[in-house]
Amino acid sequence: MKASAYGKHIGCIALFLLCPFILTSYGVKLASEVLIMAIFVMSLGLIIGFAGLVSLGHAAFFGLGAYAVALLGNHWENTYLLLISALVISGLAAFLSGLLFIRSSGAYFLMITLAFGQMIYAIVYKLEDLTGGADGMAVVASPNLGAGPIDSRLGFFYLTAVAFLISYYFLRLLIASPFGKSVRGIKENESRMTALGYQTRTYKLAVYTISGMLAGVAGALYAYFNQYVSPDLLYWMFSGQALIMVIVGGVGTLVGPAIGAGFFVVLQNYISSFTDRWPLIMGLIFVLIVLFGKGGIMQIAALLWQRFRPQRNSKPAQQAMAKEGNGIESVKS
Amino acid sequence: MSLLKVEHLHKSFKGLHVLKDVSLAIGAGERHVIIGPNGAGKTTLFNCITGTLPIDAGTVTVNGQKISGLPAYTAVRVGMSRTFQKNNLFGSLTVEENVQLAVNACKPHRFHFLKPLARYTETVEETESLLKQWDLWERRSRVVNELSYGEQRLLEVLLALASKPKILLLDEPTSGMSPAETVQTTKLIQRMPRSITLLVIEHDMEVVFSIADRITVLHHGEVFASDTPGNISGDERIKEIYFGGGTLQHAEA
Repeated sequence: MKASAYGKHIGCIALFLLCPFILTSYGVKLASEVLIMAIFVMSLGLIIGFAGLVSLGHAAFFGLGAYAVALLGNHWENTYLLLISALVISGLAAFLSGLLFIRSSGAYFLMITLAFGQMIYAIVYKLEDLTGGADGMAVVASPNLGAGPIDSRLGFFYLTAVAFLISYYFLRLLIASPFGKSVRGIKENESRMTALGYQTRTYKLAVYTISGMLAGVAGALYAYFNQYVSPDLLYWMFSGQALIMVIVGGVGTLVGPAIGAGFFVVLQNYISSFTDRWPLIMGLIFVLIVLFGKGGIMQIAALLWQRFRPQRNSKPAQQAMAKEGNGIESVKS
Repeated sequence: MSLLKVEHLHKSFKGLHVLKDVSLAIGAGERHVIIGPNGAGKTTLFNCITGTLPIDAGTVTVNGQKISGLPAYTAVRVGMSRTFQKNNLFGSLTVEENVQLAVNACKPHRFHFLKPLARYTETVEETESLLKQWDLWERRSRVVNELSYGEQRLLEVLLALASKPKILLLDEPTSGMSPAETVQTTKLIQRMPRSITLLVIEHDMEVVFSIADRITVLHHGEVFASDTPGNISGDERIKEIYFGGGTLQHAEA
């Protein structure tokens, strides 16, 4: 990376961290929720857009992370310990389920992850003594990184902001690394990767596990944020919403899913304050994006950028978007 | 001693016996060409040798090491790589990314995930020298799907070469090429160093006789003959299989 590129990144981070000063108190709270969802949706975007594994059970890992904080939080107070347990538990669940699932692909993978997610949901739902069943349970633990409890909305925003930035830069490094490039190659052409000498299943299992871990961390943050967890966090509807956010944002990009999450959460908040029929409007927006902007918001943004800034770099942007596709094709195959 | 040895290989698909007791021995540095009418089992033989398809009986050994029964990705580890009859590339990645993936497959850092691939100088340099050697350096930033068919065919061979194989299996390297491209590709194959042993499936007889040290004729899944080009071209029975014979083979070809 050139020095100017570093400058751009630092500028963006600074702007991002200054956000709370122009937002209302409610806006800061909403921003925290957006960031948590962004981590979750980015983790799903990683396996969909880069590994071609379209999952409809990703909420299971999010929910496991959230319940880890809720349940273990009754005994432990240390925030680091709770976050790490959420990461380990959801990572383990992803690894063990991945061992079985990774052999299937396309629609079969989608169905088997859906079934797995629903199974975890059913277990949490039925274990009433432990989890409170359908009523859910309150989260006792409060975040404390060692400098006193974080109980203000502003403090929590910075906690999620740091978590988001770490996740984002970790994933950015991951997809540019030999490992990430190989995963991308497997999505593109698994038989050739095998012929080249790659042990493709190991790569797929590893990326699925990493994705599950990240979803678990997002879930853990959500437990702190909401101070209440319920089985809805594991339900397939939530997985489906995350999938929609990935597609709306832009499959095959890293920022896309994060933007999709922001778009979805903010819009849902505003539209639902006008009408109870907000899912109808969200559905229409989704249909329009799938029909007219296959690359999601990222592609639409790239097209607009090209139109109004045609003097430089216009061609590479188009090429970059054109080769990404919308990821839906991997469901069909 | 032969570098690649195939012994008593059998393969059938749901009762259809595609390969019957196929044995081959290919010495180091040899240019061995497999010919035979369509449906003779040539590509199936390649798939069985490299482990892409499981075999029913028999053994495949490379340099004395048995590889039959092992998963397909292990073939590269013993120094054997292959190309495909139909281009099997990473269509929406660039030429450079394609070659980088191929080069990186055998590097110890292939699992690393905390440093960009572009900063592993060994991979980057090897990619660059391969691309320059094969006249694809100018095209490195092009998406593979945008390349001409001939260039894609070239890249197909290039990817197989990136792992520095001792044995290279080429499945119809000139199929679908224009006459000019065929001549060029034949020259490229002829120029390959003798440190690479070649096993080639080819239909174009001009190409076959300009590269082969030995020719094996596969017919109905059996080794019909395996001999020097001179003896093969003089064998009346082989002409029969290819040109004369029953109308059935004629229609297939």
